[in-house]
Amino acid sequence: MYAIPIVVGVLLLTFTLFVVVGGDISVEIAGRGATQQTIEEIRAEYGLNKPLFLSRDSQFVNHFKNALTFNFGRARDGELVFDKIKRGLWPSLALTVPIFLGVVIISVSLSLVIAFVRGTVWDIAAVVLCVAGMSIPYLSFILFGQYFLAYKWGLFPVFFSPDLSMAGNVALPVLIGIAAGLGGNVRFYRTVMLDEMGSDYVRTAFAKGLSRRRVLFKHVLKNAMVPIITRVVGAIPFLFLGSLLLERFFGIPGLGYLMVEAIGSRDYFVISAMTYISAILFVAFNLVMDICYLLVDPRIRLE
Amino acid sequence: MSQRIGIVSPVRNNTASHTLSRSQRISNGVSIVAVMALVIWGCGGSGPEGEPNEMVLHHILSARIRGLDPGQIRDVYSMMVAGQIFETLYDYHFLKRPYELIPLLAEDMPQVSEDGLVYSIRIKKGVRFQDDVCFSFDKLRMVSKVEPVGGKGRELKAEDFVFSIKRIANIKYLSPSWSLFDDRIVGLDEFREYTKAPDRNIRGEGEVDYSRAVEGLITSDDYTLVIKLKKPWPQMVASILADISTAPMAKEAVSYYGKDIVSHPVGTGPFKLNVWRRGSYIELVRNPTFRGELYPSEGEAGDAEAGYLEDAGKPIPFADRVVWTMIEERQPAWLLFLQGKVDATVVPKDNYGEVMMENGQLTDRMRQLNIQLKSFEDPSTYWLGFNMADDVVGRNKPLRLAINRAIDREKFIELFFNGRHLVAHGFIPPMMGCYNPQIKQKGYARYDPDEAKRLLKEAEGIYGEKIPTLKIAIPGVDTWARQYGQFLTRQLNAIGLEVELQYMDLPTYQQKVNNKSVQIFAGGVTANIPDELDFLSLFYSRYAAGGPNKFNYSNPEFDRLYEKVEVMRDCLERRELCRRMEVMVLEDCPAAFLNHRVADVLHHDWYKNYKPHSFAYGLSKYRRIDLSRRAAYKELLNASR
Repeated sequence: MYAIPIVVGVLLLTFTLFVVVGGDISVEIAGRGATQQTIEEIRAEYGLNKPLFLSRDSQFVNHFKNALTFNFGRARDGELVFDKIKRGLWPSLALTVPIFLGVVIISVSLSLVIAFVRGTVWDIAAVVLCVAGMSIPYLSFILFGQYFLAYKWGLFPVFFSPDLSMAGNVALPVLIGIAAGLGGNVRFYRTVMLDEMGSDYVRTAFAKGLSRRRVLFKHVLKNAMVPIITRVVGAIPFLFLGSLLLERFFGIPGLGYLMVEAIGSRDYFVISAMTYISAILFVAFNLVMDICYLLVDPRIRLE
Repeated sequence: MSQRIGIVSPVRNNTASHTLSRSQRISNGVSIVAVMALVIWGCGGSGPEGEPNEMVLHHILSARIRGLDPGQIRDVYSMMVAGQIFETLYDYHFLKRPYELIPLLAEDMPQVSEDGLVYSIRIKKGVRFQDDVCFSFDKLRMVSKVEPVGGKGRELKAEDFVFSIKRIANIKYLSPSWSLFDDRIVGLDEFREYTKAPDRNIRGEGEVDYSRAVEGLITSDDYTLVIKLKKPWPQMVASILADISTAPMAKEAVSYYGKDIVSHPVGTGPFKLNVWRRGSYIELVRNPTFRGELYPSEGEAGDAEAGYLEDAGKPIPFADRVVWTMIEERQPAWLLFLQGKVDATVVPKDNYGEVMMENGQLTDRMRQLNIQLKSFEDPSTYWLGFNMADDVVGRNKPLRLAINRAIDREKFIELFFNGRHLVAHGFIPPMMGCYNPQIKQKGYARYDPDEAKRLLKEAEGIYGEKIPTLKIAIPGVDTWARQYGQFLTRQLNAIGLEVELQYMDLPTYQQKVNNKSVQIFAGGVTANIPDELDFLSLFYSRYAAGGPNKFNYSNPEFDRLYEKVEVMRDCLERRELCRRMEVMVLEDCPAAFLNHRVADVLHHDWYKNYKPHSFAYGLSKYRRIDLSRRAAYKELLNASR
């Protein structure tokens, strides 16, 4: 039920921010030295002189109709917005999905192990490393990785090359993304696991004589699934948005920069399409999240 | 209980350590395999050594290009690419300085009537558009519904130039170049009116009747174009006929590709589009039907010694392919340059110390790598402008002068441009014909905080109280913009002025400046043509609000002189008038002019015939790669590490 108000709200907010509050793009389109008359002509051609809300042909009604029919129109560079998104989606996902999976798998596994050795020197070392990883700016990982792994040691290409496969091009950014993402995630999952490790059922399981692996993966992990699902499924819609910094530094032609560039150049058609699709994905994956809760915890019921 | 714990704990610990070690082993194994796989995927790639016999130019684009439709292009990056695909009637001589216009698609320079109103231009015969499917479309469609293939480019005709100009006039086409043509050519404004008339229900560009006559655009035969002007326009050849906007695009391509024409350029130039992966890279290949051209045999003094005439008389283009990679960040651009994977780059600000010594010479490492430096002045001026319509700064000349005196331009240039830019003593850059070499002595750009404080007191007397906080609009929200804002704040605080910085994106900034709703604004301009009129027009009152005059400056005497020089050809009298006009503006101080840009470009020694040019874009045809030097670079690089 909440899906429709969220999507409509996003459309309204985007429209208000970029059409009502934001600057007029006509001046830029008109070019240097254009007269006020030329600027007005361009406003008319783009329909920017139409009423904002209170008319059947108002700018918001048209915006709403176009969104509902997935008619995103053309970006300011003349390309169809849909083509732009379609083209950038695969490179973005090729980058963000392996990072996402790598970070989740490694951090959940590591956190289980760390939770098991809690209080030992390994645990302390892991926490220190996690805090260090969280404290180092993302950009530093990129600059360091690009300079040493790619340029100095020649293990990876410095920048996107059309002659390489996508896997070859995203290899280093993926490694950097995983390395940069581990600190915060391992800490989070470690806390989740520690909460579970202290539970009675764990003691009971060990008392029954179950093996460590069975206790960890069968009992602890299963019971920790609700917060894990919240974090993991909640992050999936954002994979679509790509990774701005990694894409910029490694030349991955994805969607990460598309949104930022569109905001900078007031490309309202691109902004509108991206926010609308993001809103739909967000709502869809929230539904998936609820279903996943139901699957892992029989006590939860959908109403 | 404790016993149980005592029993369980050691076992748990042992088992835990056992599990940990297995997990670690598995984890390590997975990591090693993953890293190896990634490394295997990641290695290789096409470096210079990967293309031993093919001459490929590797360039950098530091911003995305918007499209390759000439009438829609006004940004430098699109011009850099489109300039290789399209040609104009006239272009600048590659080597000669001062810049000299020469015929390109025109047979010779135009014949101009006595009154300067009619230009007659003969077009070269035998020039063909690049082959494209659009030329075979109609024929095939009549025969069957199969996708068209092949398509031999047809011959260029004078009518193609008429079509290009009419397209720009078409309101449905929304060309950013219209301001160049506005109120210039007889009948063209009427044609624009026709395209926007709602009663004709023209909804798209394709519905406009381009066969509709325009009195001032005539083709007396297939190879002669006649342009009739409303008033003399001596800069017309440079302004529009050497400008990419009028480069002929095949009418068939416009009709065939429709709105996708931005991605399907069909021109007459030496290269044609092969691959364009938007936002990533562009590859052009040599146009096999290019009519042929020869490398120039003469240049300016010193060109022969600099090696620019080694290829004199040879057929161009030299390169088989031209590749642009879009790299917006400085680090990867610099590392790729050092790896030899791009031929040239600007000197990165953050690596300045690695590149240049304090005396402005290249460091030993750069010399070991045979890297060469080319510096050239850009026809640009940057300023801190005052809105003359603003109640506070517009009516208070001592306040504007105080701000002008409070800015230490030398320090600004040192901090932000490694001391390489030039102080703007006026607004006309030194490379312009009418530049006044004595302008520095007049002291308009003098840094004098004491005088600034005295002027501020005078300004407060006029205002009647302490000057309120001044608002400075800065285009951009990035680090550079913020550092710039901080610098300005510190300079103005030092004389007792309070400042509020307003950072904004470009469209918002442009809108606010046009609406006269800014007080002080940071800005700049780069000339399109080697003529001072681009700078003088910034202060012509008819161009205020929406036009180039963002300062809303108005001076009837300046306007009178502007209208006089606008229709004059370059001569001593005109230059003298321009200098007078510059002084007039400087006296009124509608802006604190800060700097003229100087560009420093590094290139590898294998990249031949790289002579910087401020106005021409179709220069890749002159570039040549010394393949043996390029092949030897890797060893040189390893030796220098």
